[in-house]
Formats: sequence, structure tokens, C-alpha cells
Amino acid sequence: MGLSIRSKREIKINMSLVKRLGIEGTALYQFLSRIMLSEAFRPLAVVIMLYFAGSILAPHYFLSASNQKLILQFVAPLGLIATGEMIVILMGSIDLSAGSATAASAVLSALTYLTYGNFPLAVLVGILIGLLIGMINGFMVAKLKILSFVGTLASMIIWRAVVVWLIAGKLLYGLIPYATLAMPIGVVPIGTIIVVLIVVSIFLLLKFTTFGRYLYAIGGNEEAVRIAGVNADIVKFIGFAIAGLLYGIGGIIHIGHGALAIDPWTAYGYELNAIASCVLGGIALSGGIGNPFGAFLGALTLTLLIDILLLIGFTQYSIQQIITGIILIAAASTLTRGARFAK
Amino acid sequence: MTRTSKENNNIILKVHNITKIFPGVVALNRVSIDLRAGEIHGLLGQNGAGKTTLLKILYGALKPDEGKIYVYNKEVNFNSPTDARKHGIVLVSQELIVVPHLTVMENIALLGFKWNEKSFSRFNYSEVKDRVEKIFHMLDVSIDPEAKVKDIRAAEKMLVQIAAALSVDAKIILLDEATSPLSPEDVKKLFNILEQLKEKGIGIIFVTHRVKEALSICDRITVLRNGLKIKTFEKDKGEISEYDIIEAILGIDPKEFYYVKDVHETKVSRTKEEILRIENLSTIPKSPVEVPLANINLNIYKGEITAIFGLMGSGKTELGKTLIGLTKIKSGKILIMGREVKIKSPNHAKSLGIFYIPEDRRNEGLIHNLTVSQNITISSLEQFSKGIFIDNTKEITAVKTIVNKLNIITPSLNALITKLSGGNQQKSLVGRALLSKPKIIILDEPTVGLDIYAKREIRKLTRDMVISEDITVLWLTSDPDEALGIADRIAVMKDGKIKAILERADIDRETLVKYAL
Repeated sequence: MGLSIRSKREIKINMSLVKRLGIEGTALYQFLSRIMLSEAFRPLAVVIMLYFAGSILAPHYFLSASNQKLILQFVAPLGLIATGEMIVILMGSIDLSAGSATAASAVLSALTYLTYGNFPLAVLVGILIGLLIGMINGFMVAKLKILSFVGTLASMIIWRAVVVWLIAGKLLYGLIPYATLAMPIGVVPIGTIIVVLIVVSIFLLLKFTTFGRYLYAIGGNEEAVRIAGVNADIVKFIGFAIAGLLYGIGGIIHIGHGALAIDPWTAYGYELNAIASCVLGGIALSGGIGNPFGAFLGALTLTLLIDILLLIGFTQYSIQQIITGIILIAAASTLTRGARFAK
Repeated sequence: MTRTSKENNNIILKVHNITKIFPGVVALNRVSIDLRAGEIHGLLGQNGAGKTTLLKILYGALKPDEGKIYVYNKEVNFNSPTDARKHGIVLVSQELIVVPHLTVMENIALLGFKWNEKSFSRFNYSEVKDRVEKIFHMLDVSIDPEAKVKDIRAAEKMLVQIAAALSVDAKIILLDEATSPLSPEDVKKLFNILEQLKEKGIGIIFVTHRVKEALSICDRITVLRNGLKIKTFEKDKGEISEYDIIEAILGIDPKEFYYVKDVHETKVSRTKEEILRIENLSTIPKSPVEVPLANINLNIYKGEITAIFGLMGSGKTELGKTLIGLTKIKSGKILIMGREVKIKSPNHAKSLGIFYIPEDRRNEGLIHNLTVSQNITISSLEQFSKGIFIDNTKEITAVKTIVNKLNIITPSLNALITKLSGGNQQKSLVGRALLSKPKIIILDEPTVGLDIYAKREIRKLTRDMVISEDITVLWLTSDPDEALGIADRIAVMKDGKIKAILERADIDRETLVKYAL
């Protein structure tokens, strides 16, 4: 690619390549350079690179409609959970409960469905459980002033325990109506369309509302925001609550786009995948920088990576994880180049 | 002739044409100074003149953009304070670099004589204690070596730093505003020690904004202003006079510089209307650095500028923060327009019409990831919103009005706030306060770190604001001349107490400073 990342803010365009292509000075070049120089482009660049890599490494399989549908199906729950995680990270906090909250929402929704046979009710229960967990997290951080790392760690442990206790060792199956979410319109599953719509709404929420402005401000300098007379506690509470809401919806889509069956360890470790997605999507862990498209593209990056590894024969989970970890380190080190120190 | 060559041989530190540029400001512009063995070289200038930047460069904490540094006639290139220390340079900073949860003696050992020891060498407590006690004996101070540093007073922390610096076998000592938190007796002791160090051939760079102190102890005084070296005055040549030095520091006649008030004196004195009353107020500190307020009684009158004058650690910031609900009140009352209020948070204070602009702009004022416009409107977004959405046109219109009124220089309203100069950042914060339509604005050291013209602008603007917007101002400052220049009344604070409340008419500088010391 005619692109190399030099530092945190500076992307240098390879001029020799530009000259060879003969597009220097043209409108196309101007357009391309504007896109490529923008901060938001970087996660997209990685996705494009992975598409190139996939079509070269697994020429017949990668671009097939069935594989593309699979990618879109698998990116949906992670993309949504990463977007929830992003809201928390934008405030300069962290949410370790994402995986457990997703699992709790999924399991309670599934249990509701299996008990009452009422699918809309089951969906509602799942979403409300997510919201409730988010509200509890928000209360701990905003009101009790517990560090988000600690508060959501406790949340993660407790909700996972609740799930294990509820369905101890069992597999919940027969969740047929959830499969509606995986039905495609064209090649795009309904669940994925829902997720994209939610991601767009979150983008609008963050960009055009007072809540969004406060959220970014808190991530930038919470002390200053408080001294400026803003009620930061309410903003933080709502931020955690919305994140929980997204985990709840994520839990439902996780069932629909997954195997239509769940065990107590469902969505285990998803919070880490969500955080990794945020990192890959250019969301600064220190807060205040990034947007939901970044989080979604980060999730897509992880999904593509696993997909390509599977296609080229790395079927072992452990090997996939090792390679993912290494790529995360590489990505993070480019993103934070130029920082004076890290904690 | 012999004298000149002798002086040259004596030069232990030479700085040649150092330039340092920060975004939006040239902190140092081709500055050259030198330091002789056995000399105390004063470095004077306003806040923002470049003194601290120069010291940080000498100590390796900042790298110069241009210029050279020579130690014992050898060019050096410091990458970190470790490099500087290896060349025998130590810094005592106004920023109180101590480790709060370690004891006094541990701090002195780690910051001082044991700084360069191997990581896992033995820490012999009795030996360290002996040595620390010896240093304290020499300094003639009585601090418990086993006390935790977080529990001692600010002045004692400074003495701990000085003791640590002295315990290193330093050739060059950099003192950055080391005397600001010290009592006059402590200053006297420190000066005796500095004289002893001089005898030993140690070179000292002494940064201060107190001209009289510099006059009494320095052999030479270099004055910086706006990053430029104005002149080096030599005692031996009889060049050191208070008037010349103050003129060099200010660049203009001090009177013209400070007294913005008289120009704008348009108000006739009228019956005083009380807007804020503080009765017997005492606070409990939430952290060891917070100064507890003791029995504060203060009346603030509508449409006046009341200056709270006090040195570092006098409690003026704590008083300001008490009025926005950030301290814990033990006893006493706050009344606004005669009604008692319990201020719970800055948000609550804002709704009561009180707005505080913090001293620490970087950490408590600016929101670094937001634009100029977003920084200005953060406190008043509810005025520019329809439902949950921000009404962009309304917001931009309001910001434009403020930017014009306060003359904020910015490349665009959508530029990041960090791209602005200190003065324009401060004006943006004033704009933030104004948009929230407060009755009372508390400005905490609003001109610290600004160049003199920005200072003058902020003062003038505050005066205008008081007159045209009917706003009452509490102006917290450690600069006596500023207090005299801007205020209608001055309350002097020291150790968390109000020492005196003076009407402008009956104050002279000497009296004012005497109360604060």
C-alpha cells in the first residue's frame, strides 16, 4: 500500500507510488489523500488490507458469498459489544463486565423464552438485564466512586457466577425464533443491519447531543468538566447504562448469530475482545478520542483476522489467539507511538 | 586583564543561545548566561518569562530546540535529569518533587545522596538517619526524619528537597522559587547555608520573583522577559539597583503596568450591597496538601473586585474551592444575598451564580480534546440545546460574540484549545464563565504564566466585565502589585486565616506584604 504510518498524527503518502500511478495532482489524488490523512481512515485501512490479504491467501473461499455472510454474522455481536465498551472507554473508564453482561442477558432471555414461549418478552428481558447491569456499574462508578476497573471486575465475576448458577453445566437449546436475526437480506443478516443502525445512532448521539459532548469532555479532562459546573456523575451513569443496554442487545444477537444454543461460558472473555476492538479502532484508552465506527471496524478487523486464519488452516483456537495477541501488540504500538510514557 | 581570565577559568556552566519553542509561544529566545564557581546567580522575571523553562533545560527535563550548554567548558547534551545529575547538577523545584508516602529520611536518601545507587543495594536505616540528622543539624532545621512526607507542611517539604540536594555532592545547584513557601526565618537560614556553599566553590542559580531577596544574596542577576534575556547586572560593578531590575523585569514603568483600575474608574461609590457573606468558616482538609481554613469572615459587595492576597499555601485556593463546594466544611456559614446556602458541588454553585476559574489551567480548566468553541460552551450547553440535541447555530453565534468581546485570538473556532497561547486559553475560560451568566466569578491566579500584555488584558477585561455585566469578582493572587492594581478591597490570607481586610485607599505595598509574610 502507498501508505505508511509515521507517528500518532502523521501519515506519509508514498509519493513514488503516486507518481507511478500517474494520479498526482488529480481530483482522485486529492480525494484519496484527504481520506487517507484523516484519523478515522486508519481502522478502515486495516480492514481494506485484510480484505486484500484474505483474497490473496484464500482466493476461492474468502470472497465467496457464504464466507462474507459468515463474517457479517459474526461481526455483529462483537461490533455491538465493542460499541458499548467504547462509550465507557471514551469517558476514560473501562468496563470489564461486557462479557458477563452479554452472557447474563442471553441466558435470562433464553430462560424466559424456554419457560414462557414468548419471544418478544424474552428479547425485552434480555435487553433490560443488560440495562440493569449497566446501571449498577454506573452507580458504582459515579456515586460510590469505585474505580471502574474494580467495580466492573466485581460485576464481571458476579454476573458470570449468576449465569453458571442458573444453568449449571446445562446447554440451553431449542431457541428457534432467535434465528430470525441471522436471516439475510441479500447477504447481510438482519441482526447485522440492526447493529449497524445502532452504531450509526450512537454516532449521532455522541456527535450531536449535549450528552455526547459531556462524554467526550469527561474523557478529556474530568476534573475540568466538574469544576466547569457540569454534573459529570449523571453523564457517567447514563454512559455505563447505555453500554449495558448494548450488551443486552448484543446478548440476543449473540444467540441468534451463534449456534442457537448457549452454555454457562457463553461470551466468555468478550470484554477483552471488545477492548481489543476499541484499540484496533483507534479509541484512546485514556479517553476522549474515537468514535463508534472505529469500534465497529475494530471488531471487523478481529473477525476478519480469525476468519482468514481459519481459512488458511489455523483451526486451533490457541494459535488464533496467539496470532491475534501479537497483531494487537503491533497495532497498539503504532497507535501510541510518540507518547512519552504509558501506564 | 587578569581578572577577566580568572573569571573565565571560573566559569562552571555556560549556556549559549538557547531557544525553546512550545506550541504557540517562544519560551526562550537565544538566551545565554553563565555561572561561576562560588557564585549565586539570580534569575529574575515575571511568570512566563522563561525562568523555569531554562532551569528545566539545565536539569535535562526539557531539551532545547537550539543552542549549546557547557559544563566545565565541555559541551553536554542532557537526555534526562539523570545525565544532569551525573554532571553534578541538582534542582530544587517549586513543584515540590517528593514522594508523599515515604518518610522524610527516605526521601532525602532517594532524592539525594543515594539517588544513583544500584537498585538492590542495602538500605541501612540507622546510617541514613545519622546522615539526614547531620544535614538537618547543618541546616539548623528540626523535622522528624521518620515522619511521612505527606504529613509535613509545604515549607518543610521544600526544606526536605533542599536537604536532599545538599546531600548530593553537587557542583551546581538550581533553586527554583525555593523560598516561596518559606517563612522569613527559614529564608534567613537558607541564605546562611547558601553563603557556606559559595565558600566551597559551588555555583548556585537562584530563581525567584522576589526582587529584594535576590538583591540581598545574589552576586549577579540576569533578568528574563518573554523568553528574552534583558540584561545581566553585576554587584561588583555596582549595577544592582532595585529600580533598574524591576524596570527590566516589567519592561515598562511598574505603575503604568499594574494600575489598570484608575483608567477605568468610572463608578461612583454607592451604597454597598452585600452579595456574599462568609461567617466563621472552617474546613477540614481532604488531603495533606490542602490548607484548612480557620474562622474565615468575609463580606463581598456587589459590583466590586475583592482581591484575596496570599502566598503559596495561604489557603486562598481552598477558599475559592469552598465556594464551589469542593472542600469539607467543619463549621460556619455561607450566605448569598442574605440566604444561607450549603454548596454541594460546582454544578450546584453554578446554579447559585458562582463560577470558579481555576489556577491550574492545564489540569482543572482546559478540556484538551475539545475545540475552542466547545471549551467555551461546556458550562452553558443547556442554553444552546433543543431537547437533547445541541443547536449548532445558536452555539456558534454565542461563541462568536464572546470571542469578539474578549478578543480571543484563535486560528478558528474549531481549533483545539491546546493550540492557543496561554493568554487566549485563559480568556476562553473567562468566556466560559461569562456564558454561564454568573453573579460572582472567582478568578484564581488568573494571570499566572501569562506574558505581561496578556496579564494586562485579563485585568482590563475583568474590570470591564465588572462594570458592564454587573458581575462581582473575587480575584485570588499572590502578587501584591496585582492586588493593589485591580482590587477595590483586599483581604490578606496566611495559613488559612484572614489576616486583614483593607480598603484600597488605606493600603500601601509594604503593609500589604507585611500581613502576608
